Amino acid sequence: MAGTPSTVRTNNKLVRWIDRRLPLFSFAQDAMIDYPEPRNLNYWWNFGSLAGLMLVIMIVTGVFLAMQYTPDSNLAFNSVERVMRDVNYGWLLRYIHMNGASFFFIVVYIHIFRGMYYGSYKEPRELLWMLGVVILLLMMATAFFGYVLPWGQMSFWGATVITNLFSVIPVVGKTVLTWLLGGYAVGGPTLARFFSLHYLLPFVIVGVVGLHLIALRQHGSNNPLGIAVKGPQDELPFHPYYTIKDLFGLGVFLIIYALFVFEMPNVLGDAANYIPANPLQTPPEIVPEWYLLPFYAILRSVPDILFIPSKLAGAICLAGSILILFLLPWLDTSRVRSAYFRPIYKWVFWLIVIDVFALGTVGAHRPEGWYIVIGRIATLYYFFHFLILLPFIGWFERPLPLPESISAAVTRKNGVPVGAAPAEPR
Amino acid sequence: MRRLFPAALGAALLLCAGGAWAQEDAPDAPHQDWSFAGVLGTFDPGSLQRGFQVYNEVCSNCHSMNQLHYRDLAGIGFDTAEIAAIAAQKQVQDGPNDQGQMFMRAGKSSDGFVAPFANAQAAAAANGGAAPPDLSVIVKARGKGLEYLWGMGGPDYVYGVLNGFQDKPPAGFNLPQGKYYNEYFSGHAISMPPPLADGTVQFQDGTKSTLPQEAHDVVTFLTWAAEPKMEDRKRTGAKVIIFLLAMTGVLYGAKRKVWKDVH
Amino acid sequence: MADLAHGKPDQRGLSHAAGADSHGVGTRRDFLTIAGNALAVVGAACVAWPLIDSMNPAQDTLAAGAPVDIDISKLQPGQQIVVLWRSRPIFVVNRTPDLLQTLQQPQDLALLSDPNSEVLQQPGYAKNWNRSLQPQYLVLVGICTHLGCIPSFMPQANSVGPGWIGGYFCPCHGSRYDLSGRVYSGVPAPYNLPVPPYRFLNPTTIRIGENPPNEADFSLDSVVQI
Repeated sequence: MAGTPSTVRTNNKLVRWIDRRLPLFSFAQDAMIDYPEPRNLNYWWNFGSLAGLMLVIMIVTGVFLAMQYTPDSNLAFNSVERVMRDVNYGWLLRYIHMNGASFFFIVVYIHIFRGMYYGSYKEPRELLWMLGVVILLLMMATAFFGYVLPWGQMSFWGATVITNLFSVIPVVGKTVLTWLLGGYAVGGPTLARFFSLHYLLPFVIVGVVGLHLIALRQHGSNNPLGIAVKGPQDELPFHPYYTIKDLFGLGVFLIIYALFVFEMPNVLGDAANYIPANPLQTPPEIVPEWYLLPFYAILRSVPDILFIPSKLAGAICLAGSILILFLLPWLDTSRVRSAYFRPIYKWVFWLIVIDVFALGTVGAHRPEGWYIVIGRIATLYYFFHFLILLPFIGWFERPLPLPESISAAVTRKNGVPVGAAPAEPR
Repeated sequence: MRRLFPAALGAALLLCAGGAWAQEDAPDAPHQDWSFAGVLGTFDPGSLQRGFQVYNEVCSNCHSMNQLHYRDLAGIGFDTAEIAAIAAQKQVQDGPNDQGQMFMRAGKSSDGFVAPFANAQAAAAANGGAAPPDLSVIVKARGKGLEYLWGMGGPDYVYGVLNGFQDKPPAGFNLPQGKYYNEYFSGHAISMPPPLADGTVQFQDGTKSTLPQEAHDVVTFLTWAAEPKMEDRKRTGAKVIIFLLAMTGVLYGAKRKVWKDVH
Repeated sequence: MADLAHGKPDQRGLSHAAGADSHGVGTRRDFLTIAGNALAVVGAACVAWPLIDSMNPAQDTLAAGAPVDIDISKLQPGQQIVVLWRSRPIFVVNRTPDLLQTLQQPQDLALLSDPNSEVLQQPGYAKNWNRSLQPQYLVLVGICTHLGCIPSFMPQANSVGPGWIGGYFCPCHGSRYDLSGRVYSGVPAPYNLPVPPYRFLNPTTIRIGENPPNEADFSLDSVVQI
């Protein structure tokens, strides 16, 4: 953006006239057409733009759904059913929005794991990574508020359970809780403020995404080899190479998304949320949406620790499990970015993936029998991975020799398209 | 290794999803053949109308369907005059009139289904303390686990409960006073007496009204009622997915072409 | 934007690619570009329609627009009742013979903008000097054709000003109508007040929203201005 202003390449007089005064077109040209990307990005790099698209889909469908929704505890459930029945294409908008939350998280989780595998958080992209964690936190809050809006049994009791976490705050906990809820318990005032925040936060996310992109442009994308771009021979212009690759990935993604929206729209949700909220009856099992299950498992798995009661310790670990991601750039002491050149970390990475899935499974079940044991081990391992394994592996591990440059590595693997997953190095 | 990632992700996702709703205290109701199951499943119009008859003559004495309106019955094949006639049989409270009084009048097609009780308290009081649940979305509210994948699970469960009554509980089961034993109901002790039996209704189209037939028809009706737009959804979905497949195919070709020269 | 995406940069991008040869860039790429763009346009339109259509009246709103019946047995001569139909006020007036007479005086007709109801603001069966099915009963949509306010019912002579023979006066911008809803010249409102479709079920019940069985279909949507 800085430096000599580029001119837009077109003969269209109107475009040139506007661009001289308001350089929108040359900005788009710089950002989306000429923008140089490492030439070896694989399909895991599609998920950033997919996440951006999901944000747009959620905001657009959300704005139209809000035109039909009533944030009143007596009317909310019925207004959602009215959307499903009477509003033209209301069922479609709602199912896109409802499943969109799940698919947004799928995309973002893959995006995060990709960053962890290829060391995308490492110097000089620490702030890029941390802004990403802020986006994740905002998404979790938005999703939580959104889940409350249909005012079904899971909405109501999910809100009750999660807001009650605030009561662990010493001294002022109960006061804070009452203030958050706007009453003695979750009720009409809570619903109205959650709706307001659910509408607000996505636009905050848009803002942080903007910062995320500015930070990205500062040093450009990381790449599967994790080595810096050394010159134009290592790069390709964004258009047409990555536009077409992103679009193809988008097509595949939309097919899967459409299968859920049209063929099994309720499979990722909870049947109990089709029962209107009843403050006098707790459902037999309260589970959050699947994308929060690993964190829910951590919350429930922590026993009393010394003088800290289980409830407080669980809440601290829950917060810690996400906040720890902020420290990841410094916890990982390896001087090599990509797991590709890290013989030990490339296995440890999969252990933390499995660990998170184990936590997710534990979160979905009643804390009984083996689930308690597995939950505790998995919680322990989660923190062990970030606080102990990562720093130590960085010190002890002997990375493989790095290639001279991206283009050198690319030309050595003759015949293998750059877009596909690179073969294992010898 | 890299290939394992998506596979593991998918498998683990399903695992989490499947486990989340498993209930252990009653067996899963056996799977039935439903005309509306599957990617392009549609409702059987005859079954829908018979099912409405069962609801109207039997279920509606205790269960409300607050999300439905008489006009919605156009979706199961009744015409305007038939709907007006069905609605006109009901008494609806309206008002206030010029004197400020509420009054009763015959139902209109724009009215909601008339509920049997004024409120949940009245419903509970008249039914031994357990208010009969609203049936508008009961099929969606009773889905379980991965059976729910195709919108199933809920219909099987409701069908199972309607057929699952046993005169005598198994030996050793302590059935509380005023409860009935049901094989598929969570906890087995259900407050609802067996609502259907052979010949409970006389079907207008001459279909023999056995208990399984009545249950099958009313479940078909309830499934439609839970989501009247289901056929729309599946039809639209087929078109959307065909379109996306074509578009993705073209994009794949374009991608191959663009990247052909890059090595 | 199309110019940007598919104009010169496209070719530059290709030739920029290492090892790209300039031949073979021809037909297949062009075909794919055109096919891709065509599909994108179709897709975008299909995505936009549900969003747009969701803002149209929903099924319950439409159902609430069903005809309403009005009992006029207690409507005294010279009085007006107002009922709601499709969220709009409907005026029903019992006009006395005296009032009806004022509607035909040539000196008053000369002041009207559209005395013969030429503009489509009423069903065919109300296109007459009294703009109604039965001269005694006037049925109007009570919304000023200027900017949508509700005109006041002012039946008394001289109640609005000297020479006022009774009619409707809009408090917002001073538009005036006679007791058939015909607008006077020189006021902001351009058209007569609309007459909705209606019929007599019996001598004392009017159904708003339904045409008489032997008359041509008339929909309120077809009027020039509400």
